[in-house]
Amino acid sequence: MKTIQTDLLQGTLDLLVLKTLQSGPRHGWDISQRINQVSEDVLRIGQGSLYPALHRLEDKGWIDAEWGASENNRRAKFYRLTASGRKRLAEQTVIWQRFAAAVALILKTV
Amino acid sequence: MTKGLRKRLRAVFLRRQMERELDDELRFHLEKDIELNMSRGMGEKEARAAALRSFGGVEEVKEESRDLRGVRFLDETWQDIRYGLRMMKKSPAFTAIAVLSLALGIGANTALFSVVDSVLLQKLAVPEPDRLVLFEWQAGKAFRTSGTSGYGAGDIPKGRRGSSSFNHGIYEAMLAQEGTPVTDLFAFAALWQANVSVDGRADVSDVQLVSGRYFAGLGVPAALGRTLTDEDNLPNAAPAAVISHAFWQSKLGGDPDVIGKRIDINKVAFTIVGVSPKGFNGTLQIDMYPAASVPLVFESQLSGENMIDGRAGRSGVWFVHVMGRLKPGATREQAVASLAGTFQAKALEIQPPPTRETDVAEIDPKDYPVLMQRSGAQGLTESRRIYSSTLYILMGVVALVLLIACANVANMLLARSASRGTEITLRLAMGAGRWRLVRQLLTESLLLALLGGAVGVLFAIWGTDALAAIGDSGGNVLPEGVTYGLNLRVLLFTVAVSVVTGVLFGLAPALRSTRLDLTSAMKEGSRGTAGIARSRLSKTLVVSQVAMSLLLLFGAGLFLRTVYNLQSVELGFDQENLLVFTLRPGKAGYETDRLHEFYRTVFERIEATPGVAAATYCRVPLVANNTFDSGVLLPGETPQSGEEHLTNLQIVRENFFETMGIPLLAGRGFTDLDVEGSQPVAVVSEKFARDYFPEGNVLGQRVGFDEKSLGKYEIVGVVRDTKYNSLREDIAPIFYTSARQETDNIGTMYFAVRTNGDPTAFAPIARKIVNGVDSELPVTDVMTQEARSARTVAEERVFAQMLTFFGALAVLLAAIGLYGVMSYSVAQRTNEIGIRMALGAETGGVLRMVVAQGLKFAIIGLVIGSIATFALTRFIEGQLYGVTASDPLTFAVVGVLLLAVALVACWIPAMRAARVDPMVALRTE
Repeated sequence: MKTIQTDLLQGTLDLLVLKTLQSGPRHGWDISQRINQVSEDVLRIGQGSLYPALHRLEDKGWIDAEWGASENNRRAKFYRLTASGRKRLAEQTVIWQRFAAAVALILKTV
Repeated sequence: MTKGLRKRLRAVFLRRQMERELDDELRFHLEKDIELNMSRGMGEKEARAAALRSFGGVEEVKEESRDLRGVRFLDETWQDIRYGLRMMKKSPAFTAIAVLSLALGIGANTALFSVVDSVLLQKLAVPEPDRLVLFEWQAGKAFRTSGTSGYGAGDIPKGRRGSSSFNHGIYEAMLAQEGTPVTDLFAFAALWQANVSVDGRADVSDVQLVSGRYFAGLGVPAALGRTLTDEDNLPNAAPAAVISHAFWQSKLGGDPDVIGKRIDINKVAFTIVGVSPKGFNGTLQIDMYPAASVPLVFESQLSGENMIDGRAGRSGVWFVHVMGRLKPGATREQAVASLAGTFQAKALEIQPPPTRETDVAEIDPKDYPVLMQRSGAQGLTESRRIYSSTLYILMGVVALVLLIACANVANMLLARSASRGTEITLRLAMGAGRWRLVRQLLTESLLLALLGGAVGVLFAIWGTDALAAIGDSGGNVLPEGVTYGLNLRVLLFTVAVSVVTGVLFGLAPALRSTRLDLTSAMKEGSRGTAGIARSRLSKTLVVSQVAMSLLLLFGAGLFLRTVYNLQSVELGFDQENLLVFTLRPGKAGYETDRLHEFYRTVFERIEATPGVAAATYCRVPLVANNTFDSGVLLPGETPQSGEEHLTNLQIVRENFFETMGIPLLAGRGFTDLDVEGSQPVAVVSEKFARDYFPEGNVLGQRVGFDEKSLGKYEIVGVVRDTKYNSLREDIAPIFYTSARQETDNIGTMYFAVRTNGDPTAFAPIARKIVNGVDSELPVTDVMTQEARSARTVAEERVFAQMLTFFGALAVLLAAIGLYGVMSYSVAQRTNEIGIRMALGAETGGVLRMVVAQGLKFAIIGLVIGSIATFALTRFIEGQLYGVTASDPLTFAVVGVLLLAVALVACWIPAMRAARVDPMVALRTE
């Protein structure tokens, strides 16, 4: 399958990042790998989109950042979901699913 | 929210650290990519290249991440500030002139505002001052009181009268009223110019009389000892006094053992029981600093007037001020509503016996007295309101000065933006947002303004000292004894004024200089349309500067002429080499024979002193804003039938006319035969004779003042008119009586000593002589008559000085502005001038052309300025003397002066234009 360039709707990338962090803190590279991997290489997040997105989310207070040690003990910045981020994720998931269902419905019938 | 703010601030102040973190994070990402690539079997070099390729522009990522920190605005502002500071350093002359002119403008405004703050805004130093209510009343003119003491309350509608002074009986009735929303109702009154003596050292000070709940109601505790209570106000209470902190410090050296000490006030011995706290100056007018507060019950002993109960057959004088503290949540309107009925009933009950036909029953109910209120937060405010008119005029002047400074700096900025045109064009061409550039230029303006404000504060400190000195020099221009501090409110005002100023002078040039037609401006920018628009704005600014200068100079001219007219006014007496001073033996317990004996002794000793040409004394100091007047009853008139014939009164020693150089016109003057027991005689002024005896038969007529003194005085002489109250007044009738024939009203006398040499040298001798007669009697208001007369024109003089100073400054700034505009215009027209000269124009012709253009701006400014001037000077009409607010001569002089300055300002650029070498000029094309 071809890789989809993630010039997706901005909200989509935010949603993906938030979802990825749901299972626990990760650093930036890990997040991009994770999305890459879970989407079976369909979604590839460029660094040019990822870091601005991370800072934007941090600015909004949905995620928190903290410096810590990576797997092989290197200094890395870890991002973690905040309470309001968790709420945002839940809301956006519902919205996204309804949106996707609606689009699917239209594509099916028309 | 606060987290966001913290992050933003962190981003600004820990900029470097944040940058490093961003670097670290991206580097970490890159290294992980490389690792991944290597684990897939690439060589290290290849792996790095691939990672970098997929990573994209590192700087781009960083920039985007940075934007999202929400710090760009602050970041750029900081950048602008640093840039602005660099620009200021680059052109120090420009910066110095701009900052200096702004500092003068802002400093003048700050200084004046600190006076406005102290005089008009500051509240009493008591807890919750806004819960205090001060009562007042108003009534129709038909309602007459048995004498009021104090100021007439301000802003009373025409045809009505009113005051904040109440009859003591009314105060007691209000106090007795139950169920009011006032927790403490209390009364206080002024005892002016009392003789206060401690440890044998006497001085003249104001004192306040207070009711028992005064201190409790205000919530003012004692700094030392105790305050006064209801017990101190009982009829048989021991005399207790609370002295002010200032008096304690200045007269008692802050002695901690002051409690229990004796203080004599008008010869009544009080015991000091407490000291009021620092900063609490009582509740009287702003410029009154009562040395002590004593119980109201001692009023008659202290004043000798019995104002509380009134003299035989008359009800008391209206002299106490009534204040109350509102219960929490209650309003002043509720307080008035609950007390209005009691007030009116009592006021009508004690209203004095009708002096004419009017009786209570005949007063129209619409003329009944009604209770009113105002906030008590500032104490009595009549005096504050009197000063406010002076302050508003001065505020107008300094605001104008600031506007002129703004126009000047705006013009300088415009001229500079011409030289920065290429830089700005370049930046616009390279895609800088216009708003971004405007912001940067405005930041520079604000920096200039704030710097001007900071320097202005220094000017203001100097200015407030000068203003305080004006207050202390007497003449009632500004209150005496007030020190003006630069408190928080004043500094906030300065910052606000600086910011507004910065926007005011910065916005137009910033908008103008960024509105460039890019292509034409890039081509050396000399004759683009923007250049024309810019110079049009700067011409407008110059025109307005000339207009505002005209306004200030014209005002200065009017006041200079006013002062001159007042000082050369015919006084009617000789004020040269005359020293005057005040003695108040009446307040030190002297009466009847002892009093006469005292005056005689002092007079004889003074007259016997070498160097004294003559000496005399009188009841009312001449030309000192002091009035003592009464209606006089002409022969055949009674209090019931008589019309009101008002005359000024003067009680004099028999040699008064000779000593003062007032010529006798008819009849005789007083002699040493006019003593108590002989026929009371009077001498009147020409005006009195003319007004009241137009048939010329004044000598031998008998007049009086009231029922008791009908026809008491025989008029024996007529003297020439003199000024009485002030230099400004119209000549009014004066009625002179002999001091030796008077028993009332002679407790205070003004001595006048004519010396052969410098009169001020006699001052210490006068003190020594008086001390030799009574060591506890203070000699006050010692000054020359010339100084005393000059005091009555102090306000006009201050206006004249200020307007002249600021007017000169304004003209200087306008000249600089005109010079700048003309220089710029000549520089721009170099080509054109060159062509003209190549075509045969004469040097003189070019000179005339440029000068004519400059004068055109000046003349337009004069025309606009004269319209503004005639619209505004009517506000000062009342302050002028001997000159109208549209005086053509003053106007002509000021106009010619301004044109002359404009001519000089245009001359240098014009000369430069005339020296243009056609060849050089054409080559620059």
